Amino acid sequence: MAYLTLADISKNFNKNPAVEHFNLDVEKGKLVSFLGPSGCGKTTTLRMIAGFETPDSGVIELDGEDISNIPPNKRNIGMVFQSYALFPNMTVLDNICFGLRMHKMLKNQIVPKAREVLDLVRLSDTANRYPNQLSGGQQQRIALARALAIEPRVLLLDEPLSALDAEVRVVLRGEIRRIQTNLKITTIYVTHDQEEALSISDRVVVMNKAHIEQVGTPQEIYREPKTKFVATFIGTANEFHGSVCGKDSVKSAEFLIKTNNASLFADGDEVFALVRPEKIDVYSYKPENIDGNVLEGLVDTITFRGAETRLGIDIGEKVITADVPGKDVFSYGQRVWVAFDSNACQVLK
Amino acid sequence: MKTPTKGPVFLRFLIVSLFVFYMLLPIVATYLFSLATRWDRSIMPEGYTWEAYQTAFNLSYFRITLKNSLILSIASCLVSFIIIVPTVYLTQINFRKFRPLLDLLMIIPFAIPTVVLALSYVRVYTFQPITRSPFLLIMATVVYTMPFMYRSVSNSVDAVDISVLTEASQSLGGDLWNTLTKVIMPNIYPGILSGMLLVFATVFADFTLAKLITGAHFKTFPMLLVEQTQIDGNVAAALSVISFTLAWGISMVLLWFSSKASKSKKAQPSDKAYIGK
Repeated sequence: MAYLTLADISKNFNKNPAVEHFNLDVEKGKLVSFLGPSGCGKTTTLRMIAGFETPDSGVIELDGEDISNIPPNKRNIGMVFQSYALFPNMTVLDNICFGLRMHKMLKNQIVPKAREVLDLVRLSDTANRYPNQLSGGQQQRIALARALAIEPRVLLLDEPLSALDAEVRVVLRGEIRRIQTNLKITTIYVTHDQEEALSISDRVVVMNKAHIEQVGTPQEIYREPKTKFVATFIGTANEFHGSVCGKDSVKSAEFLIKTNNASLFADGDEVFALVRPEKIDVYSYKPENIDGNVLEGLVDTITFRGAETRLGIDIGEKVITADVPGKDVFSYGQRVWVAFDSNACQVLK
Repeated sequence: MKTPTKGPVFLRFLIVSLFVFYMLLPIVATYLFSLATRWDRSIMPEGYTWEAYQTAFNLSYFRITLKNSLILSIASCLVSFIIIVPTVYLTQINFRKFRPLLDLLMIIPFAIPTVVLALSYVRVYTFQPITRSPFLLIMATVVYTMPFMYRSVSNSVDAVDISVLTEASQSLGGDLWNTLTKVIMPNIYPGILSGMLLVFATVFADFTLAKLITGAHFKTFPMLLVEQTQIDGNVAAALSVISFTLAWGISMVLLWFSSKASKSKKAQPSDKAYIGK
């Protein structure tokens, strides 16, 4: 049974839709990410759950209770902000104690509880410091501790890592996931960083232009995108625009792409055939006995990325992106053959 | 590397010295005149005496006018604080689109001459017990000094992201009262103090509003001072010095509180220090 339910939520700002007909069920103890480009409505949805915005229509239920009209300070929903939002006039300990005092916790339990959550985020030694004496990463961990201290029914994280360095982001997202899993706290995580969403979430909600595009596990979102937007927003995809030709191919202006996934469409339907770069093999010779697609081209770009190398291969009207092992050596202008299986080719309207 | 815009050292020193001289001359002259035995035949006073101060302290209205001015100034500060701080806060949080209107309204007290403001109050509030009462004077001084308080508070509010702090407080269970008193006000404290300082100094030195609204019913220190200028210049100078010293002393106390409130900022440590902890 769903713990948090958003039923047909809509919200407009000055007659411009920010969120339209948003439906979502979140199970207790799961981490769900809202992923999408800027202005897609993910933060607005989060703010409606927090109570900072009121939906124009629809219902938000938490543990069976309609919380749509409950003020934010009565919802017991913790929130971590992008800008940390620590109170500059209070020490780290006082910041954490603030929420406990507002929740009328017994006086002799407040400080021990605050120290417990400080231990949880591994920053016990910062208790008497002020926020301006901490680094960005430390401040965000304190903000997390402060939100967790009140034992919220739901934890909301609004792009919590976007103001941090790439290295700190990776460390901190692991921390967030560790704490969330240990405490089994229902969490909604807003981000525009696909890697962050895929690595941290139990489920991902991909949003675009105020709508949900797809809801699924990170694997489903990546491997089985339901829309062209999801396929191109999550990771990189090579796309071939064309029409369905028979049950097993898509005919574009230049190529005939063999695929096993065209059977859902009628002959002649306008579609996109999409292939992930890692599904493409690159050969310096023409491969034999390959049951799938083989295209000939010239190496246009080479981007070394450590374990792998990303190649841009000019196949005439188009440049195909392919990931090959880092140890493979290619040179600019080299004649190559790209091959991909007919199963690797996703077909979408 | 030399900064070309700095100019010669002598010129910079001269400009600053002229400014300091211009600002200090009337104050020093008033101090000296309040202590002078006679100062009309020589460049410097012919002798010095405390007589003007003794006369000033012994004036029958000295204590009462000083008390009245203090009451008036403190009351104006408190009323300004009670009206302005929540208004600026709520405008910023809930009614942001009205902020330009509020900014515009706050120019009006500067645009209206004090005499017109005072006479308007006298004409409009003709009913008892408000008419010509100290309460009416407080209402007028609050309006008169409102821009000072508003500007100081709104500048502080702009410097702090109070929307996010408010939401953080609310998400932790804080109601409006706790959010305002425990989170917002401590963070805009310097602005509130400097606003109150300006209100205090302006009201304490105000003559026109008090003279026209309450007159002899509620005599203030500047009214006594003006009265004395027609009787004894030295005593008037002594009263000016007392007024100035009092305002300066209170300013120092408020500034001390202000500096105590704003914690010294230390350099932000690097995140590298804690990666891998």
